[in-house]
Amino acid sequence: MVSKRLGWTLHTLLSHYRHHPLQTLFLLTGLITGVALWVAVQVINTHARSSYQQATQLLGAQASHWIRPAGDGGIELEQYIELRRAGFRQLFPVLEQQLTTSDRQPLNLIATDLLALPMDSVGAFNVTANWSELMQPPFQAWYPQSLAETLDLQPGEQLALASGIRLPAAVIQTQAQQGQRVFMDIGAAMTVLGRTRFSYLAVGGLTPVEQAALSSILPAQLQLVANQQSLDLSELTQSLHSNLTAMSLLSFAVGLFIVFNAVRFSLNARSTTLATLQELGVSVRLLSVAIAVETMILSIIGAAAGVTLGYLLGMQLLPAVANSMQNLYGAVIDHHLLLQPLTILKAWGITLAGLLFALGWPLWQRSQRALASQRSISDDWLQDGKARRMLALGALVLLALALLLYPNMDSVAEGFALLALLLFAAAWLLPVLLAAALAALQSLIPERAWRWRWALNDGWTQLPVLRTALMALLLALTANFGVDTLVGSFRSALENWLDQRIAADIYVNSEKLKVDSVLQSPLIIDHHQRNGVDLRWGLRPAQIYGLDTRAPDSLQLPLAMHNNALAAWYRNEAGVVLANEQVHHMTGIDPGDKITLTTAAGPRKFTVAGFFYDYGNPFYRFYLPYDIVATLWPDAGNRGLALWLERSAQAGGADISSSTSTAIEQKLLQAGAQPGEWVYRDDILQVSIEIFDRTFAITAAMGTLTLMVAGIALLASLLAIHQRRLPEYAHWRAIGVRRREWLLIILLPLAVCVLLTWLLSLPLGTLLAWLLIHDLNVLSFGWTMPMLVQPWPAVRLALLTAVVVATTLIITLLQVRYRLPATLKQLGGDG
Amino acid sequence: MRWLPLLLLLVAGAATADDVYDVLRRGDSGYAEVVPGKTLVFPADHLAHPTYRIEWWYLTANLTDERGQNWGLHWTLFRQALHADGKTEGWTSNQVWMAHAALTTPAGHRYEERFARGGIGQAGVALEEGRFSAWLDDWQLQGDSAEILPGSLHFSVDGTTVQLELDMQTPWVLQGDRGYSRKSAQGQASYYYSQPHIRVRGFIIEPAGEEITVSGDGWLDREWSSQPLADNQPGWDWFSLHLQDGSALMVYRLRHENKRDGERPNEGQHNHWLSGTWITADGHSRALSADEIELTALEYHRVERANDSALELPLRWSLALPAMGDGYRWTIEAMDPHHWLATAFPYWEGPVVAEGSNPGIGYLELTGYQ
Amino acid sequence: MLQLTDLYKSFHQPDGDIKVLDGVNFTLDEGRSAALLGESGSGKSTLLHLIAGLDRPDSGSIQLQQREMTQLTDSEWNEVRRSELSLVFQQYHLVPTLSVANNLQLQARLCQRLDEEFRDYLVERLGITRLLRRLPHQLSGGQQQRVAIARALLHRPGLVLADEPTGNLDEGSSDAVMQLLVDLVSQAGSSLLMVTHSPAMAAHLDAQWQLHNGQLTLIEEQ
Ligand SMILES: Nc1ncnc2c1ncn2[C@@H]1O[C@H](COP(=O)(O)OP(=O)(O)O)[C@@H](O)[C@H]1O
Ligand SMILES: [Mg+2]
Repeated sequence: MVSKRLGWTLHTLLSHYRHHPLQTLFLLTGLITGVALWVAVQVINTHARSSYQQATQLLGAQASHWIRPAGDGGIELEQYIELRRAGFRQLFPVLEQQLTTSDRQPLNLIATDLLALPMDSVGAFNVTANWSELMQPPFQAWYPQSLAETLDLQPGEQLALASGIRLPAAVIQTQAQQGQRVFMDIGAAMTVLGRTRFSYLAVGGLTPVEQAALSSILPAQLQLVANQQSLDLSELTQSLHSNLTAMSLLSFAVGLFIVFNAVRFSLNARSTTLATLQELGVSVRLLSVAIAVETMILSIIGAAAGVTLGYLLGMQLLPAVANSMQNLYGAVIDHHLLLQPLTILKAWGITLAGLLFALGWPLWQRSQRALASQRSISDDWLQDGKARRMLALGALVLLALALLLYPNMDSVAEGFALLALLLFAAAWLLPVLLAAALAALQSLIPERAWRWRWALNDGWTQLPVLRTALMALLLALTANFGVDTLVGSFRSALENWLDQRIAADIYVNSEKLKVDSVLQSPLIIDHHQRNGVDLRWGLRPAQIYGLDTRAPDSLQLPLAMHNNALAAWYRNEAGVVLANEQVHHMTGIDPGDKITLTTAAGPRKFTVAGFFYDYGNPFYRFYLPYDIVATLWPDAGNRGLALWLERSAQAGGADISSSTSTAIEQKLLQAGAQPGEWVYRDDILQVSIEIFDRTFAITAAMGTLTLMVAGIALLASLLAIHQRRLPEYAHWRAIGVRRREWLLIILLPLAVCVLLTWLLSLPLGTLLAWLLIHDLNVLSFGWTMPMLVQPWPAVRLALLTAVVVATTLIITLLQVRYRLPATLKQLGGDG
Repeated sequence: MRWLPLLLLLVAGAATADDVYDVLRRGDSGYAEVVPGKTLVFPADHLAHPTYRIEWWYLTANLTDERGQNWGLHWTLFRQALHADGKTEGWTSNQVWMAHAALTTPAGHRYEERFARGGIGQAGVALEEGRFSAWLDDWQLQGDSAEILPGSLHFSVDGTTVQLELDMQTPWVLQGDRGYSRKSAQGQASYYYSQPHIRVRGFIIEPAGEEITVSGDGWLDREWSSQPLADNQPGWDWFSLHLQDGSALMVYRLRHENKRDGERPNEGQHNHWLSGTWITADGHSRALSADEIELTALEYHRVERANDSALELPLRWSLALPAMGDGYRWTIEAMDPHHWLATAFPYWEGPVVAEGSNPGIGYLELTGYQ
Repeated sequence: MLQLTDLYKSFHQPDGDIKVLDGVNFTLDEGRSAALLGESGSGKSTLLHLIAGLDRPDSGSIQLQQREMTQLTDSEWNEVRRSELSLVFQQYHLVPTLSVANNLQLQARLCQRLDEEFRDYLVERLGITRLLRRLPHQLSGGQQQRVAIARALLHRPGLVLADEPTGNLDEGSSDAVMQLLVDLVSQAGSSLLMVTHSPAMAAHLDAQWQLHNGQLTLIEEQ
């Protein structure tokens, strides 16, 4: 009986959605887009994290350990064969190399010997091509689909490298843990790239006994290192994932604004229904249950569609994220997205929570006073004053909370909570500010310009409806501007820093280079030979570099801070170290403090003389004088040779003449370097910036998507306003209001509101960027940079907003135009 | 076992290989051809012949431990050329190596296979410091000199290590016509020689550390070719027996595709290629022609394969050499039917008992059963 | 002033076309007033809509000040409504965001014919002097309709079209408002065509017309 009544009540309630398809569309759009973005990020995050778990695997094979050269230069074939013949069949050789394509795109290569992979792991390999063709000349290079697209590479094409080498014919193929890398047979790679040594040997599944045996027979130059990639990656990438999650939650919030918006309009239409139902004797309890069921149904639809869309979106965004991970952390992320039941459940959970807040609650509230009179537009904007004040009050509470939180903030999560508080405070303040602005403008306009006054007055009608959409727009614009400013600042800081750091003309990294022979060249006016070792410091991997303190780039080392021990560092004194800014921010060490590094002879204390900028490096890095490193870590490897070249007077001293570069390349070849083992300054700069841009592609994508969601909110609001005001417009038309006048009245307040929202997003976005740079970035990554507010992103956002507003306006104008005649005919009708 | 088809592709060098034994039937030009009349020269011919498409070093042994329990082993190194382009050294080498090792213990059957690319030293057959050496990773058959025998064999399967000393009693036996062994009427052939009388003694060390002393008789086959099988030959049944009186017998039949319906595969021997060799205790051999050999499958056994499927295999046979006399008649039966090797080239191989007036033990190999 | 000749209008409806106006002929002279009577659904509003150019007749002619109107474009019609016509509806259609003063000056401003003296006179006559600074929602229904009337007359349109202007009001205020409307229309010098249900009200006007079965017939003229 009750269920029958409930069914009938529900049917009546839900009939609303059939009769108002547009509102239904917007409600679902808001819900679905919001959920979809969240799901997309969630799916990517879970996927990335599971990829890190697999970092103990390499190309589908177990790799619990690595055998790496103590210095550098790689591993000789003979050393590998010796280990294999000693029975260590868990080993397989790996070559990893960063390549640069002829059009200056960075490209990572991974190569191994498939026949040497441990038997049980070969199963992970996906093969549709012929293996013997991979291994036999003319060889093949296997690219994942998305990488091939990035490089604009067709199957069968041979990618040209900057060094002039051409990779074997491309095959579109993806292997486990290949990530965004090109895969080749190791023999093919060694042959094509002219390499003679492996990067390292991967070691799969060692028992303790085997490990002891392996360590005991390992030659001194080689070391067995546990693969801590999983741990390191989870640790290093945590902030980036938090960043993504925060952005997706923002999108979800923006989506909820749309839902909220749609619900508000439907409330009027439905309050009659609610009243009728109550008059017919439906109890408030039954009504509440029906509303709950409605919310449930919508949440299921929204979550299901959102998850589907999110999954698809995730697949679209994955290559960008994989690129970021690869470039920033060397993390390899595969292309098979997994949708976990937990993600679906969570998506449904937030949808339901969001709907309860945006739909269930207002509906229930309305049902409580369903018998009260219907409200008119003017009621609405009267009511709006009250709502505005309530929101403003809420905003002040949020601001107070933010102020309380700020001084005590010490985790990334708290940082994002602070940003959320600020953003929502700003959003909630927006209606009051807009109202104040409208009022102020009105009082400025003389009585004579009554059309303008009328138009501004019309703002009061539009505001209650636009309010939510404008808040969503403010959020989206602020986030976009903030992130644009962050990325822009980072890019310019990086460019400046690279300019200073990459000061030499040419960098050589060669296994067999006879350095002395190269340095005899009269073309070389200065040089910098570096050495180094990799160790762990604290919980993270750390890089020790030995610098020639007299080299031009050492003398100009960009330092964030230092003390007077710096002079001692430049005098090559032992016991003085320079650390990257990350060390300072992540561990709280200050100049003058002592740190302990593990040298070959055991732990040793060093005084920190200062901190140098080291943008984007996820690792700790320490600079010591070259000889100190060579003494303390006897097996420190060559970390490359930087050369400053003679500049001919004719070339204006700026560029290296082509004859100089030809001569120096000749010299390098003579001294034993292979083509491709040196790189020019400009190429490094270009490739670094390219990597940077690729890394932040995901941020841009997320920003645009959020703005689109806000655009939808705006469209929904405008359509709703105009649909509801059609009779009013018809009446205006009946008293002879011209189209132009009508446009002015409609457009002026909208323009004022949107313009104000945009204007407000600028200081807010700047504040956001400032917090991101000065607090969150330090918390997440451990480095700072000067903030650079550029006009261009603001202009771009203004244009984008204008396009969004114009689009929605054109759609609504067409709608109004199409429907106005019919409304005119009904003018003065009884209903 | 998803890797299976893939490795087959690799090894077979073919885009599609429904039957992995296709590699034995390929008649691509460019490889060296097997021709009659070539004189095999030792120790040079113990080493690899990379210009031929395939080649193997194949050792089987029937062993007993001190408690009288039966053990068995086979150890094989296969070589294959992917191209006839002559590149055998370095990263561009066209040579690929595969090794199988199987151990029959009183408790059961264990086996392992390995692969390696050629040209980089991970696997090969060569003289190392003047000694014959055939290896893949740490599996190794090593001669005391440039000769294979006397020598030693070292390998491990599933944590069980095998360390054996091998000693040769009699000269090498050249199979077929002085080492030219015909495999079909169409001209398929291989170079083929064997050592049927190998004294084997050594240790088997169980994973738990228990060391078992074993001894017995071994048999080494050497064969290389570019196309040993004809198109209509799906596989072979190969027998090697050490008989009580010290003589040895090798018989094989290359099965021809059976055209009649309703018959078990490979039943009826009228059209199979039969061949064999009788070797006396002092190493004198006599080739057996097809009409001298009567080989009949008596009983089929269900044998489990790795992927939960089973196969009917002939594991009880009758063999007779009527031309040699009445005593030359045996019933041969597998000691244990569960000796299927689900390797890239799947086959059955295991120790057998021959009953008759001159009984013996030996090895049976069944290939090409699908 | 207004001349309707052989006016036809029918509507498509799900249950078949209905002929609302079936050859309507009508004349209204300068400064005269006419009442339009008829049952609900007889087509009175439709007729007014056609006269105001809010809808188009199927055939026939509408002449306003000797000008043929049926060929006018939408915007030409808009200009006519702006300066020569006035509409008073049952719903008062005040602009909710504009004060009473601005509402009543709206149309006069639109056609730039704001006569402040006449405005003050209208305000006074309509008794809304004290309401000028208020917003429409702060007024009663009767007060709102008075504002609507003031707005319709302030620019002294040639023709005032009123569609049951007091339909929403109680009888007492309805009569008062109606009386005012009739008086003020004549003072503005406008002609008036008013739809009404009230025979008493109709009696105040110069002529009474009855719309029935799509035909308009003069039932009384003074
Ligand atoms: N736009 C329209 N579309 C279809 N039918 C209409 C339309 N306008 C009015 N009608 C129909 O025309 C008839 C006359 O309506 P109306 O002029 O409003 O009558 P009145 O004002 O006399 O009550 C009614 O039957 C009504 O349903
Ligand atoms: Mg009507």
